[in-house]
Amino acid sequence: MLFRVEPTSGTPITRQLSEQIRARCAGGQLRPGDRLPSVRAMAADLAVNQNTVLRVYERLTAEGLLERRHGDGTYVAGRLPAGGMRSQKEYLKQELRRLVEQGQMLGMSLEDMQQAMADLYEPEES
Amino acid sequence: MTDDVIVAAGVEKRFGRTEVLRGVDLTVPRGSVVGLLGTNGAGKTTLIKCMVGLLRVAGGQCRILGDDAWSLSPETKARIGYVPQVISFFPWMRVRDLVRYTASFYPNWNEELCGRLIRDWEIPADQRAGTLSVGQTQKVAIVLAVAHEPDVLILDEPAAALDPLARRQFLQLIIDIAGPGQRTILFSTHLTADLERVADRVAVLKSGQVTWSGLLEDLKEQTHLNLEESFLEMHHA
Repeated sequence: MLFRVEPTSGTPITRQLSEQIRARCAGGQLRPGDRLPSVRAMAADLAVNQNTVLRVYERLTAEGLLERRHGDGTYVAGRLPAGGMRSQKEYLKQELRRLVEQGQMLGMSLEDMQQAMADLYEPEES
Repeated sequence: MTDDVIVAAGVEKRFGRTEVLRGVDLTVPRGSVVGLLGTNGAGKTTLIKCMVGLLRVAGGQCRILGDDAWSLSPETKARIGYVPQVISFFPWMRVRDLVRYTASFYPNWNEELCGRLIRDWEIPADQRAGTLSVGQTQKVAIVLAVAHEPDVLILDEPAAALDPLARRQFLQLIIDIAGPGQRTILFSTHLTADLERVADRVAVLKSGQVTWSGLLEDLKEQTHLNLEESFLEMHHA
């Protein structure tokens, strides 16, 4: 599972990382019960401060998206928080809106964007 | 006992007629990694020397681990690691002897960590300290400052002389030993990109006063600027 942060951006690392975790939960790459890397491993991997990663895990735990099991690690919560699915989809919509705006600025047509999405879409294996 | 590891309150320091620190207020909570930013001559080194008790404040107070910085107990001193900006070793000592000599002062010297860093950082242990390059000297000083696993680590421009590879290794070391929430680290730098990775707090020293301090993420949420842009903005007026 690859996370990426851009430390020299104007967006705090905490926000970058929590948005990526949220997006992965919304997109289904992270499923309930999946284990996240330990704070130390994630920090070493991203080459960022451990406090920063810990803060993200704590916040998402408070939101109900993650679950910290004492002495064991951090997991995606078994059940999404009340209204969780809706808020995750809402979040995904915001992301889409942002991407569509960027596409428009690049002069992409709706068809171009749909095609780009279709190329990326992998149907779920049954 | 307070959870602030370093407390500077109204710290003043002057050299002759030059006022360098003009009422510095700064608290460093336990477990945080603080980047101290400032232009050349802003007073970073002077403030750090006051914090570790190498300079006596002219006004105000500096406390570290509960002790007054000017009268640190031996027990407190053993819990502090410090890398000065200008490093001086006995030039005739070989690096391995320098390590053994320094280790003899500390009861909790971590041989394993020390040996690993010397290997990883390719420090020539047989060479005499006087023949090391500036970067190699800085590496040795960092190893000597962390090997006794101090609770507080204070570094004055630690990465300035390091090449990009060594700097990355140094940042990894800081990340590795820093936490979460355990060891407290304060380092001065003007390399904002390094700081954005490893620091969770920032303090900006400007003409002898701390003009901004707090969580790096709060600064970014407020300004939507990266640290370098914020820093330039703060010094624009």
